[in-house]
Amino acid sequence: MTKTTFGSVQAGQELAPFTKKVNQEIFWKYAVASFDYNPVHNDPEWVKTAQPFKVPYTVAHGMMTMSFMTSVVTSWAYPAALTITKISTKFTKPVAPGWTVKCTGVISEKHVIAKGKNYVVVDLKAENQDGEVLAVGQAEVLFPD
Amino acid sequence: MNRINFERFFKTEKQKQFSTDFFKNAEEYETWDDIDFSSDKEFDGEQTFTIKAEDMKAYAEGVLDDNALMNDEKYAQKSPYRSLVPHPIFMTQIAFWCIGTQGRGNWIRTPGARNPGQDFEFHEPFRVGETIHIKMRPYDRYIKRGKYYLKYKTDFYNQKDVKKATWILTLILPRTKADIKKFVQGVRGLDA
Repeated sequence: MTKTTFGSVQAGQELAPFTKKVNQEIFWKYAVASFDYNPVHNDPEWVKTAQPFKVPYTVAHGMMTMSFMTSVVTSWAYPAALTITKISTKFTKPVAPGWTVKCTGVISEKHVIAKGKNYVVVDLKAENQDGEVLAVGQAEVLFPD
Repeated sequence: MNRINFERFFKTEKQKQFSTDFFKNAEEYETWDDIDFSSDKEFDGEQTFTIKAEDMKAYAEGVLDDNALMNDEKYAQKSPYRSLVPHPIFMTQIAFWCIGTQGRGNWIRTPGARNPGQDFEFHEPFRVGETIHIKMRPYDRYIKRGKYYLKYKTDFYNQKDVKKATWILTLILPRTKADIKKFVQGVRGLDA
């Protein structure tokens, strides 16, 4: 476990990125883990014609991308016993099999309220290997001090 | 979709029980057109979810997160948390399980649905041994750039009725049953 105090964090501080290369096998495993068996993620034959995203290939679950983005925060906050209170995301581009998803986080706001109520906002972003933005989001993290 | 062999990935009891076929009875799913916004009354999910360690660990594994607090019970027991800590988006697994196939909210299974983004709020962490039930109500419905957005507010409670989390669940949906039928047949059922 690590010690991270509210006083020690600063707006502009970057969190360690969370980066994963994804493929169809990973989409299937995520379907099993989440119970989201929607064919747009899982059925390469169906999606050739159905094309919900106007592309003829499967795309990653948005919730998997959101989970990767969230892992940027948990990797920092959980070992320090900080509490994640909110997470929101907007997906801007579907993730294709074979892409590398790089998720990053930057502390953008430091809310100085009172002991036990102080929190920070982390701006989150997911990009592919070409730097195209896949999703953006925010998380709020509560400090005990 | 049963042509895909998901069974080779199954590790938990719930995974073995859950229906992997989102086409089955898809034309019975609620559609964007169907949702009744005339009442704020909440409704219950189809079933409850008793959290096992294997459920939490399966989710962390599924999102390729090897954080020991999520994956290693012995390590987690020695931490200040005293037990496994779920990945925050573990709620997805609980939601799909609790909503089920026949009842309200089954539109989250719709073939052709698209995910524009989500909003989660956490009140208390989920713990192994808790039995979670959900309460849902229609939250918003709108058309934007020709796409049909539907939102449900979904609250997660434990067996003591302590609110654990809230998910404003949003999808872009095929509008009608006829549109869903097209998707089931492998034909695009959306204009935008």
